[in-house]
Amino acid sequence: MSAADDIAGQREGRGSVRAAISRLSHYIRAERFYYSLWAVITIIYVGAFLGVPYLTGKTVDAIATGESDDRVLNYAIALALVGLASGGLRYVSRVFVFNAARQVEYEMRNDLFAHFQRLPQSFYFRWRTGDLMSRCVNDLNSVRLLLGPGLLSVIQTPLLLLGAFGMMLANDWQLALLVIFPYPLFLFIARGFGRGMHQWSIAVQEGLGELSNQLQETISGIAVVKSYAMEPVMERRFSGANQNLFTSHLRLVRVMSAMPAITGLLPMAGMLLVLWIGGNKVAAGRLSTGDFFEFSLLIYQLTFPTFIMGWTFALVQRGAAAMQRIDEVLAVEPSIADRDDVLRVDSLAGEIEFRGLTFHYPGSERQPALVDLNLTVPAGSTLGIVGPVGSGKTTLASVIPRLYEVEDGQLFIDGMEINRIPIETLRSNIAMVPQDSFLFSMSMADNIAFGLPDTDPKRVAEATLRAHLTKDLAELPHGLATLVGERGVMLSGGQRQRTALARALALEPKILILDDTLSSVDAETEEAIQRNLREMFDGRTVVIVSHRISSVRDCDRIIVLDEGNISETGTHKELLLAGGFYSRLARQQALEDELEAVA
Amino acid sequence: MSEANSIHEEEELGKAYDSELLGRVWQYVKPYWPMVLMNLALVFPLFVLELVPAWIIKTGLDRVFAPADVEPLAATGFELWLDPPAGVAPILWLAGIYVITMLLMTALQFLNSYVMSWTGQLAVRDLRRDVFRHIQSLHLGFFDRYPVGRLVTRATNDAENIAEMFSAGIVALFTDVFKMVGFAIVLFLVNWRLALFTFVVVPLLVVVAVIFRLKVREAFRETRVRIARINTMVQETITGMKVVQLFTREARNFEDFDQMNRLNRDAWQRSNRWDAGLFSAVEVAQNLTVAVILGYGFRVASTGTFYVFIDYMRRFFLPLRDLSAKYSVMQSSMASAERIFQLLDTTPDIQDGEAHATAPAVAGERRGGVEFEDVHFAYRDEEWVLHDLSFRVAPGERVAFVGATGAGKTSVIKLLTRLYHPQRGEIRLDGVALSAIPQSEIRQRIAMVLQDVFLFAGTIEENIRLGRTDVEPDAVERAARAVGAHDFIEKLPDRYGTLLREGGTNLSAGQRQLLSFARALVHGADVLVLDEATSSIDTETENLLQKGVRALMEGKTAIVIAHRLSTIQDVDRIFVLHHGRVVESGPHEELLEQGGVYSRLYRLQYQSQARADAARSQAVGGGN
Repeated sequence: MSAADDIAGQREGRGSVRAAISRLSHYIRAERFYYSLWAVITIIYVGAFLGVPYLTGKTVDAIATGESDDRVLNYAIALALVGLASGGLRYVSRVFVFNAARQVEYEMRNDLFAHFQRLPQSFYFRWRTGDLMSRCVNDLNSVRLLLGPGLLSVIQTPLLLLGAFGMMLANDWQLALLVIFPYPLFLFIARGFGRGMHQWSIAVQEGLGELSNQLQETISGIAVVKSYAMEPVMERRFSGANQNLFTSHLRLVRVMSAMPAITGLLPMAGMLLVLWIGGNKVAAGRLSTGDFFEFSLLIYQLTFPTFIMGWTFALVQRGAAAMQRIDEVLAVEPSIADRDDVLRVDSLAGEIEFRGLTFHYPGSERQPALVDLNLTVPAGSTLGIVGPVGSGKTTLASVIPRLYEVEDGQLFIDGMEINRIPIETLRSNIAMVPQDSFLFSMSMADNIAFGLPDTDPKRVAEATLRAHLTKDLAELPHGLATLVGERGVMLSGGQRQRTALARALALEPKILILDDTLSSVDAETEEAIQRNLREMFDGRTVVIVSHRISSVRDCDRIIVLDEGNISETGTHKELLLAGGFYSRLARQQALEDELEAVA
Repeated sequence: MSEANSIHEEEELGKAYDSELLGRVWQYVKPYWPMVLMNLALVFPLFVLELVPAWIIKTGLDRVFAPADVEPLAATGFELWLDPPAGVAPILWLAGIYVITMLLMTALQFLNSYVMSWTGQLAVRDLRRDVFRHIQSLHLGFFDRYPVGRLVTRATNDAENIAEMFSAGIVALFTDVFKMVGFAIVLFLVNWRLALFTFVVVPLLVVVAVIFRLKVREAFRETRVRIARINTMVQETITGMKVVQLFTREARNFEDFDQMNRLNRDAWQRSNRWDAGLFSAVEVAQNLTVAVILGYGFRVASTGTFYVFIDYMRRFFLPLRDLSAKYSVMQSSMASAERIFQLLDTTPDIQDGEAHATAPAVAGERRGGVEFEDVHFAYRDEEWVLHDLSFRVAPGERVAFVGATGAGKTSVIKLLTRLYHPQRGEIRLDGVALSAIPQSEIRQRIAMVLQDVFLFAGTIEENIRLGRTDVEPDAVERAARAVGAHDFIEKLPDRYGTLLREGGTNLSAGQRQLLSFARALVHGADVLVLDEATSSIDTETENLLQKGVRALMEGKTAIVIAHRLSTIQDVDRIFVLHHGRVVESGPHEELLEQGGVYSRLYRLQYQSQARADAARSQAVGGGN
């Protein structure tokens, strides 16, 4: 029960940067065609881009030295053509890199979704929905920005700088060295700001996650919040999270504003040198006006890419932090998965055998939920489970479809080790109706056919009938096509439970597990459902967890659980005679259920 | 109803500019107006500073480096301004001005960007607070229709988008327009003929930009709808993961998801192409102007003027290149603003009545009398759940509602606590209409145990106390003992300090319910409402609970709704509900004499009364 310990354990090990980078590079490699094509185009583009200042310088020199008008015009035309080519190449380059980033985003989102579906229930005990959502939305977006604009700038800007430097060297190596001299400073600037940027972007992401948790919780519990006038308390909590987020944002903004401003100083410093030293050289006749033009245009053209580098740096930092957070989720190994020694079975007969099953919830070693449980449920028989609150009934029901992991050698289906049965086979042969009848925001029909390969109207109709939903459907505005709303809010508690029951029945499973399925259904309806179900039970193994004797009395065998142990076992008649917990429960409920039937 | 529409609001057309919305956003910025003013004041100096470097080069080229080549055509006032004072070397002078410009520009740029983002964050913080406050004030029916994920998005992503509007959107747009006009004016002043020639490219670019705007708008709208659907599905799948896995739905779910994800990617890739198109169009325009300036300009201007033209023309085009980025920021922040304000405009539906100021708030009046008069209620439209329901519960009286699922029992309670309100009729508490009593007071006076027990992330104690600081830790434990929750709490690792997960999923349903009883007990109200409180607790626990509940009811008005008749054996009066109407009501004896449904129930009960009593005493004894 110590969920808190689990959370602490989970959070202390933030995924390493290296692991995150290696995962990211895996995605990039998958798009290597696009990325390498993009790299080639970028190199050509750099040539065209630098061709413009080069030709400009040539034209200015032609004008200054008084060459013929035709010659000047030819230069101008060449300039226009290179300019056009440069634009065209830039188009292709941007489309490639941004589309590749979208492709990676698509792949990564798919992988996250598929991964979520593979993770066991114990994972969802530890991680909050809001947190997972934030990774799936905000962090993924940051990674996408890293791969698009981030990568574009990180690769292209150094190439541009190198090309420009080469051209300058060719013209006047002394001036070139002076001009390029400030640029390596960028690395220091980047490192200086990098730490702050990294730190605060993580803080912002986490702040957002916390904020959505607060909100989500308030909304989920809104009925309690309102009933107990907790609004001021919740608002205080929210305001705390809000203020924290604001503070983190402000710190990040400070770094993010300073970085480009200071980066902008680099090309300006270069320009200053061209002005001073280049100017003197021009005056002394040691540098042509055209070369001066070329120098200053090169620096000008580099201003924007360099300036953007500062911003890129923020993107990269943010993206790296986000990738780490995504990696943290993706790195969680699905503990319940088919193993290498998986058996080849397609169908099950339905025999369940517990051999000394002891089960602890992860992280709570103190009190096992189930203790050394021995029990065989023959295929086609029915088992009833009763017992006080917290005696382990739901746990027992949940290990059968492997919602939780049990150790080898403790649970067998048809004599096979449960951990070696393919999950697909296991779960398609087992249908469980969990306590909290969760419905999806789909139509009634889609909810009932949830586990079927497609919405088979015959099976849906059959299940509807058995779950006693026919009358309710007639009263719903669009019958089976009625949308049930998020979590099935358009239905009453009893209707939700019966829909969840229909969903399980539609599977026509070999093993049917009903975990206190009809608690919100009134006794009369329950009685009717029980009658309908009896036919369904033929040829299936059925496990019924219930608080009501009426639900389990016809079971071939009934067990009473007490603190994870079987305290009584037998048929209804046998247990009545035994005079224990069961008989006490039965005497009281027999009376009540009769009364209920009349009401 | 606006709230019903708002579920589909992602599909609405997003505008990049909407003065009404901006006006509302402004309300949040207004408190910080000096900061906005400061930013606007910085725009002009920043523009002037941007003009200076090229002008320094021009001065150098035309006057200092090659003094013989002074052009006759561009003798404007500007350049004299940069001539050095006597005794200072001209190049040193120019370099000095350059250094000062450079430092000033860096400082002002930082200030401009920082202050603007700061303002944005302040405004957004306030906006978030209002969104949260508003969400809390909405009636429960709203949450039935509005998915949680979307509400969370309002306060997180949508709010973030509005902050972007400040740092990258509207102020940047204003600055850009200001600069473009400024550069154009300066270029015409310097050499109007050359300016005319170079500006030939501009109309072409405008056409490109307009086409782009239309295309990108379409693509953005599409992606907005798609991403909303994707995120809704992720959220729902995570929440219902147990069911997904139990029913091996993973493969089909993934197929659906993949398709949505794919369409989203495609839409974005289309929009990327338009975006890149605009980007390269601007680059081509910039390069073509250079060609035009040189190819035509050598007849009419000096090299210094070429330089100024090339530099300023590039700066003139630059904002157009970022148009798509700004457009997308503006559009998404406008769409976000629209959704946020749409949410804020959803009226709470149940507000404190205007009359509550005049409501008699005499302490002596608070005795717990409850009255329903001709109440009609439907969750939706005309699907009546309660018809013409009238009844009266005297202070200190205990009543019970019985009836089948869907008979309207739960609705009675939701109306009484004003989580919903009736379409017709009136509900009164101690003779005062509920609508005239402040909600906070109603909730102080009526304590409720709901069917769905919701536990918050926090300790057990916090979950019982529910934010009330005036409750002693002793009282928490006393309440827990009274309802029989103490025993299981003692077994938890940190007892009352044990942390619960959101939703309390590390407790069993019965344990959760016990906690909710303790809550109600600690709350100490005049009216106690129990909604199917014992339905998922086994008989043994239920018996334990009965004792606590009896103590809890002492001296209070109690309204009980339960499946089991044993729960209501002690009440003063019973209402039998059927399809939203009371079909039988009255004290136990009266109902018995009527010879209706209840009397039959009672006779059955009476026959086995002795047996049941024996069973109960045994069960309680066995449980200890």
